[in-house]
Amino acid sequence: MSRVVASLLLCAVCILLALLRKYRTHVVSNPALKYSYYPALILLAALGINYLLTALGANKVYTFQQAVYGLSLGSVYALIALGYTMVYGIIRLINFAHGDIYMVGAYAGYYAVTVMHLPFVPALVIAMVASSVLGVLIERIAYKPLRNSPRITLLITAIGMSLLLENVGQKLFTSTPRTYPTIFKASYEVFGVSVDQSRIIIFAVTVLLMIGLQYFVNYTKPGMAMRALSQDRDAARLMGINVDRVISVTFAVGSALAGAAGILVGIVYPQIKPTMGIMPGLKAFVAAVIGGIGIIPGAMLGGMIIGVSENFVTAYISSSWRDAIAFGLLILILLVKPSGLLGKSVREKV
Amino acid sequence: MQRHPNQLKGSLYWIAASAVGLLILNYLVATDALDWYYAGVLSTAGIYIILTTSLNLINGITGQLSIGHAGFMAVGAYTAALLSVHYDTPFVVNILAAFATAAVAGLVIGLPTLRLKGDYLAIATLGFGEIIRVVIQNLKVTRGAFGIVGITWVDNLFYTEIVVLLSVVIIWRIVNSATGRALIAIREDETAAETMGINTTLYKVMAFAIGSAFAGVAGALYAHRMTYISPNDFTFLKSVDILVMLVLGGLGSITGAVVSAFSLTLLPEFLRFIDEWRMVIYPLLLVVVMLFRPQGLFGTKEIDFGALGAAFRWLKSRFGGAVGSAPQRTVETASPSSGMQTEVQTSSLQPAGVQPDLSGQPGSAAVAPAEPSSRPFLEVNGLSIYYGGLKAVSDFNMSLPEGALHGLIGPNGAGKTTVFNMLTGLHPPSEGEIRFRRKRIDRLPPYRISSEGVARTFQNIRLFKDLTVLDNVKTAFHMNVGYGFGASLVRPPSYGVKERRVTSEAERLLEILGLQERRMELARNLPYGEQRRLEIARALATRPRLLLLDEPAAGMNPQETASLMELIRWIRDEFALTILLIEHDMSLVMRLCERITVLDYGVTIFEGTPDEVKRNPRVIEAYLGQEAN
Amino acid sequence: MLRIEDLHVYYGGIHALKGINLTVAQSQIVALIGANGAGKSTTLNSICAIVRVESGTIEFLGKNITNVPSHHIVSMGLSQVPEGRKVFPAMTVNENLLMGAYSRRDRAGVREDLERVFALFPRLKERRNQTAGTLSGGEQQMLAIGRGLMSRPKLLLLDEPSMGLAPLLVQEIFRIIKEINGQGTTILLVEQNANMALSIADYGYVLETGKTVIQGPARDLAQNEDVRAAYLGG
Repeated sequence: MSRVVASLLLCAVCILLALLRKYRTHVVSNPALKYSYYPALILLAALGINYLLTALGANKVYTFQQAVYGLSLGSVYALIALGYTMVYGIIRLINFAHGDIYMVGAYAGYYAVTVMHLPFVPALVIAMVASSVLGVLIERIAYKPLRNSPRITLLITAIGMSLLLENVGQKLFTSTPRTYPTIFKASYEVFGVSVDQSRIIIFAVTVLLMIGLQYFVNYTKPGMAMRALSQDRDAARLMGINVDRVISVTFAVGSALAGAAGILVGIVYPQIKPTMGIMPGLKAFVAAVIGGIGIIPGAMLGGMIIGVSENFVTAYISSSWRDAIAFGLLILILLVKPSGLLGKSVREKV
Repeated sequence: MQRHPNQLKGSLYWIAASAVGLLILNYLVATDALDWYYAGVLSTAGIYIILTTSLNLINGITGQLSIGHAGFMAVGAYTAALLSVHYDTPFVVNILAAFATAAVAGLVIGLPTLRLKGDYLAIATLGFGEIIRVVIQNLKVTRGAFGIVGITWVDNLFYTEIVVLLSVVIIWRIVNSATGRALIAIREDETAAETMGINTTLYKVMAFAIGSAFAGVAGALYAHRMTYISPNDFTFLKSVDILVMLVLGGLGSITGAVVSAFSLTLLPEFLRFIDEWRMVIYPLLLVVVMLFRPQGLFGTKEIDFGALGAAFRWLKSRFGGAVGSAPQRTVETASPSSGMQTEVQTSSLQPAGVQPDLSGQPGSAAVAPAEPSSRPFLEVNGLSIYYGGLKAVSDFNMSLPEGALHGLIGPNGAGKTTVFNMLTGLHPPSEGEIRFRRKRIDRLPPYRISSEGVARTFQNIRLFKDLTVLDNVKTAFHMNVGYGFGASLVRPPSYGVKERRVTSEAERLLEILGLQERRMELARNLPYGEQRRLEIARALATRPRLLLLDEPAAGMNPQETASLMELIRWIRDEFALTILLIEHDMSLVMRLCERITVLDYGVTIFEGTPDEVKRNPRVIEAYLGQEAN
Repeated sequence: MLRIEDLHVYYGGIHALKGINLTVAQSQIVALIGANGAGKSTTLNSICAIVRVESGTIEFLGKNITNVPSHHIVSMGLSQVPEGRKVFPAMTVNENLLMGAYSRRDRAGVREDLERVFALFPRLKERRNQTAGTLSGGEQQMLAIGRGLMSRPKLLLLDEPSMGLAPLLVQEIFRIIKEINGQGTTILLVEQNANMALSIADYGYVLETGKTVIQGPARDLAQNEDVRAAYLGG
């Protein structure tokens, strides 16, 4: 009994510390400590949950297995969500075509692997480059001219681009699904939990890309320009920032991440088809909102939350409710804290 | 000859035209001249017409971005389907039941969701649309993914026509009435709408519920046509389809919605040969249209029967036959009015004694000013507000007698507009109380304060830019139209009388403010000075007792400012108003106001007559800045 | 250094600037004063091409910069400290300052200037790693000015630096502005607080509803009756 209490306490402390962001920003100003704050919290939380499950006598192996699946799915959502959140942070556009850029990445990776017989890493690069180029093209052609237009016009254009990509895809690739060849065959056992090598790769690549993105956004010049632009466009212009170019870079980076997600998804869930981007696209957007739209760690957090929740619901309740999870969480967040878990509330001035 | 709106005539024309069209169609179907297949296509077109016009009510007219419309269609469809399959209820019952359930769904979803704005609202509706679909997919009663089979097939074209006609007429009537004006006001500028006595939350939810209800009706028709429905008929893509039709036709135009839905359903049939590439051309077309003609086919305009009628008569007069001895029709567009007589008073300054006759209207500015009561008209005590830790306004006190002309001045950022916002309910104060005519009004919602008789203009001009000058003012009569929602639908004879009254009252106000000439122009096209006057006209239309003017002279040249001054004095006397005025133009304030309050950093630093203010050292310091050391 | 001729600008539907003429000579502090809504900020914004110029010319260092894209203007040596400070709220003080140096490539020079700014504003140095959004109004103003200096501008535009600040702080800010000018930066200053502005300026222009109505050496303007009337009305 005391074990249950102890582990619950531990979890509660973790949640509290996670919520006390103010504490973090004010007191912990040393960058190294700042970045290890959350991973440390997560580790603590994981230990706490482990303790809890043992105390409750639950089937730990099954639970952690589902967690592993959830993390892989969550990684995919997170990568797509990152692109959404970056673009929204800068030009306030919900880029509905983003999910389809992910699809294009998946196909690019497919061709790289099957037709060009490239090993994984070059294929990943090709997928990212292809998506990146596509993203920038779409921005220049369809979104840039409408930068000062009303929201709905942009929204409809984005929807139009999305439909266009899906249908062109269906013409080019036919709607028969393609299957990725199995690239990573190994599988490991950790404490009774079966972990495929491919799932490790997904998670690892996602984490690496996330770290790379954080570095890019926080420590490089173009990254700083992006952040400045999202906080105050006019002031950014006064700094000598070329707004058009920065927006293009944002799209390029965001789309590259979606492309990476595309090929990663292929190596774990091997079937790809031209309409594969619709649902994950929507859910990734939901993930971005849940974490806090415009906030990069928020996208990661949101993605993981949705991925893990979906898997747990599928495992413990039923798979047919799967799609409702993401949207249910969305409604919940919008009603309780519309600015997202990591977001700040902003009041509108009359 | 009295001017009369062509709204009434407009819907009659609609009904007439549609009736004729439908008779022809029915004849063709009955005689097998029109293939059964095409009848089905027309049926589908009818369903989409209902879907598009109902979405138009929410997105186009009220300006709330909803992209989950298919969810409500599903609710209606499944209602009708279940009733039909389990209870074999007649068609009409199913339609009505679908209307009801979808309306309830709209209410339930709308209430929490409509607090959100813009993109957030859009994704919330998207989310709900998906949730509805998934729920349907999982409930046993709806048989999940298998769907419902065996729904009674109804002789669709005829019944569809009736339902479509009814739906469109109802929606048209809602839109072309005071209710519609309120909805459009919400779309144009929600804040301004609130200060005109419009309960924006109520109206938004109402529009949402009604729009959803009609989507449900469309769903029921769909169910009866297809005899089989499944959750996959109502995905996000369906919502997108409807949205695309709406936008291509023109957000805000019922005509556009109808034409667009009709054509886009029929078009693929006639372009079978490109059906191969249809799904590529369609979105491409969409993007192209957004880039080059984002307002769609009709923009926010409707088919102008007035202009058509005028053109017709012109033709007639040209090519023989008596010139219409019929009374001159009114025209919505501003045609150079040859022979367009109006019987509205044409004197530029109002003759005395023309008082609005509003026996029994609440909050009306009634007759000649009563003797000034000893109690203050407006009493503000200890008003303060905190903005993020900063005390933006600190312990503000004011006591205005009835009929006062009071100025509120101070440097930039002193808190003047914040005081106005608190007085009108846009921002509730953190401390203090406000009493208007001895009644406490602080913390009331803006529309209630408005109905108590407080009106304002805005520093940044919040006109309804895409409405005509006349419509801007007519909208402001919202609280005093004298008829309700029911009357907009049923249109008893008194409706026409009341609408005409609103129009003539509005024109009278425009006359007073020298805007009558421009009444048919869009507000956005007015020169700056006239826009400000229009804001004043609009404020006056709410029959206020207290008028708050926020920088009315901004951007005006000296002549305009001088005539504004005259105008303000005149309306204070004529309409028995009490006026509180924020201004930076000192020449106006010093010559117009009887007393002035000076704010600096949210604190009142002086109150007195203009002469006293001009000479007060603290005031001078606040404006010119501290003396350098 | 800067010459504006017959500038006409439309902003938000109004004819905001109706033919402004203005010159700023090297090493001067020029003050642009006037009542609210006179067009002072619009003038600065049109110099930096944030607002479009309808007609007229703006010349900087002999080159025509009318309607040239903002990011080019900055690299030519012109920097603006905008109205309301507009610091990047989620970035630290350090990052904000580095943003000011965005258009520069000389890392050594940037470091030098960073130290220079910290010397001018020791309070900023203390709060180096604090996020700008948590600073007080006065500190944000200092940060905004420091940021403006980081591009090593030849001409610094200041838009209402005293707005919303307590009087003591205003004195300090103006003292620092004078110091900056002493170190070689030309300054064009837009201000509500006419007295303070004229106390440190060399030359002044009074703006009224979009036109320059009075101009002259700052000392003369400060004594001028018409100036007072322009502020408090006839």
